[in-house]
Amino acid sequence: MRVWDTSHLLDDIPQKKDDVSDAEHVFDPIDSQVNVQRIRQHFKQLRTRLVLGLILGFLLPNALLSAYFHFQFTHTLMESAKLNLAAVAESQKNTIDLYLQERVVNIYNLFHNRDFSLRPNQEQMDNYLATLQQFNDGFVDVGFFDPRGIQIGYAGPHPKLLGRNYSKEQWYRNLIKEQKSYLISDIYMGFRKIPHFTIATKQQFNGRPFVMRATLDPDKFYIFLRAISHGKDVETTLINRKGQYQVVDPGRSQAIGSGDFIPPASESSGVKDIERDDQNMLVAYAWLTETPWALKAVQPVAVAQAGMMKTRLVLTISLVIISVLISIMVYLTIKKLVSRAQRMAEKGHQLQEMLAHASKLASIGELAAGVAHEINNPLAIIMATSGVIRDMLNPEFELDHSPEAIYQELFVIDAAANRAKGITRKLQDMGKSRVPSVVECDVNSLIDEVVGNLKKVEFKPKHIDIIYQLAPDLPPILAEPEPLRQVFSNILINAGDAIDDRGTITITSGYKEAMVSITIADTGRGIPQENIQRIFSPFFTTKGGGRGTGLGLSIAASIVKYLGGTIKVNSIPGTGSSFTILLPANSQVKQSIKTPL
Amino acid sequence: MNKKERAFKVLLVDDEDVFREATARQLSVRGFIVQTAGDGETAVKMVTDDPPEVVVLDQQMPGMHGSDTFIAIKKINPLIEVIMLTGNTSVDNAIELMRMGTFDYLMKPINIDELLYKIEDAYTRKKLNEKQQREVDQQH
Repeated sequence: MRVWDTSHLLDDIPQKKDDVSDAEHVFDPIDSQVNVQRIRQHFKQLRTRLVLGLILGFLLPNALLSAYFHFQFTHTLMESAKLNLAAVAESQKNTIDLYLQERVVNIYNLFHNRDFSLRPNQEQMDNYLATLQQFNDGFVDVGFFDPRGIQIGYAGPHPKLLGRNYSKEQWYRNLIKEQKSYLISDIYMGFRKIPHFTIATKQQFNGRPFVMRATLDPDKFYIFLRAISHGKDVETTLINRKGQYQVVDPGRSQAIGSGDFIPPASESSGVKDIERDDQNMLVAYAWLTETPWALKAVQPVAVAQAGMMKTRLVLTISLVIISVLISIMVYLTIKKLVSRAQRMAEKGHQLQEMLAHASKLASIGELAAGVAHEINNPLAIIMATSGVIRDMLNPEFELDHSPEAIYQELFVIDAAANRAKGITRKLQDMGKSRVPSVVECDVNSLIDEVVGNLKKVEFKPKHIDIIYQLAPDLPPILAEPEPLRQVFSNILINAGDAIDDRGTITITSGYKEAMVSITIADTGRGIPQENIQRIFSPFFTTKGGGRGTGLGLSIAASIVKYLGGTIKVNSIPGTGSSFTILLPANSQVKQSIKTPL
Repeated sequence: MNKKERAFKVLLVDDEDVFREATARQLSVRGFIVQTAGDGETAVKMVTDDPPEVVVLDQQMPGMHGSDTFIAIKKINPLIEVIMLTGNTSVDNAIELMRMGTFDYLMKPINIDELLYKIEDAYTRKKLNEKQQREVDQQH
């Protein structure tokens, strides 16, 4: 027993519209060009997707990482700038504290001078001033006050202040009232009507407070302040608790006024962001130990971060350049690889087309041989019979050349010519496309109809029993009824021909795994093993005497293949054959049916 | 060769009944003693029972193929000359037929005069071969 599956035999039979057009043309350069363009389009899309995918795959994490580092960097940058400015402010505050302490000590030491007297004369006072100015040239004058608050000694540029009563002056009252033995006043105008500081020290003699005070030149103090300032664009000032500047405008010799930022008294030091004239500024402050002043260092944020901003800019530009370079490399590499793959695909496609072309040429050759044989047979009959007529008309042979005898021969010629005509018509039908009229076909009804027709003609001379084993509720097949009818008809005719005189044809239908199966089994002669591979080839026939064209099973296989199904043959010589057709249930077949050559 | 000289047996084998009979009639009126067979098996049997001088054999027949029939005939009597009738126009097929040892081949549809001359030539060669065979046999 041998089973032959036709599914691989008819691989060139179209399943789709595109294939149908392929079957129409043996080789069409326009189709070929379209396919090449399709390949190019595919690879163009592939290249774009790969480039975008890889660049995004690389750039996206890179961008996220950069954004994270940028955020961290900015934060660190700001913190660093703040710390830096705070350190500057702290350092300057310490310097000023030290400076003021030294000045306090300078003045206090006058009480312990060798020629100190509770009633100093002018010379002594001048000496005191000279001593002070030896330590620091910022000292403007020096005064000595008795317990009543009257300046009983004075040396300096304002001699009219001598004898003045200071008991009502704020600084004097604070000094007498407080436990501290010294006081550094805020900047004030005083009796001299010029901005100045007072550093006063207090010493008890016989239980009574005597005060030695000196004033500091605000200009000189300002110069000192500027001298200790460092850091680019750092503006250093001193303010009191009310926010009033404790330095003077050197050009105008007057107090500058109030600042826009008053540091909180609760914190000894700190850094704040402020906005001044639409510019972000950093303000670092530190309260002095010796006096309720705060040192305020102000620096524009842009300047504070300038160095690191530059570093960040270099890093960002480097990152962008590296990203662009990598993207270009990715693009070029992908372009090269995809172009190579495209060339190979095009070459493969060309080879495939050449192979298909060669295969079709071979098929045409086989077909031509089959056609030639089929047409030559009736032609041979025509020529032989016309030869007979010529012989009949040749007196040499003394044959019956009556019109009746000649007519008889002419009938034979007509029959042979009609046979040739039938073959050419069948060939034409094979290549002709029809408008599809796909409907739901009930296989059982179609089989019944076909068998009914065959019984009237083909099966009539023989004693053939038809046994139906049809499954009820069979799902319909979406197809054109006529080609399907032709499939059943061609196989059933063969089954009938295989039965010599008496036999049985069993028709079974069923449904399994979305496929409708139809088995046509006969008790005929069976198919010899050497022929079983050829039964689906066009023009292969075992029916002698011009009874078969060899196209029936070929056409049936083409149609079944087109419908997405297969035909399997199971045959035992001498016992019978069974053809099983498997067709997909409810499959959509919308294209025109065309039986390929 | 005149009509009397043609009175030797020719076996015509073809599955096409009408062609076979028409050709047989044409050959008969020209003096040949024509036997006919519709398939290879019958032809082999007839060659065994009543050997002809020349066989005109159709190449493409259902059942026993022309080539197989040729081999079977040559096995029975190698001296019988066989003219093959073929519908296949390919050069490959012609070479294959000659290689097998057929006397000649004719492509369908055939011209009766051409067939006649080929049968006569085949007969002449057969007689020549038989004579040579006899001489060889006598020498041994």
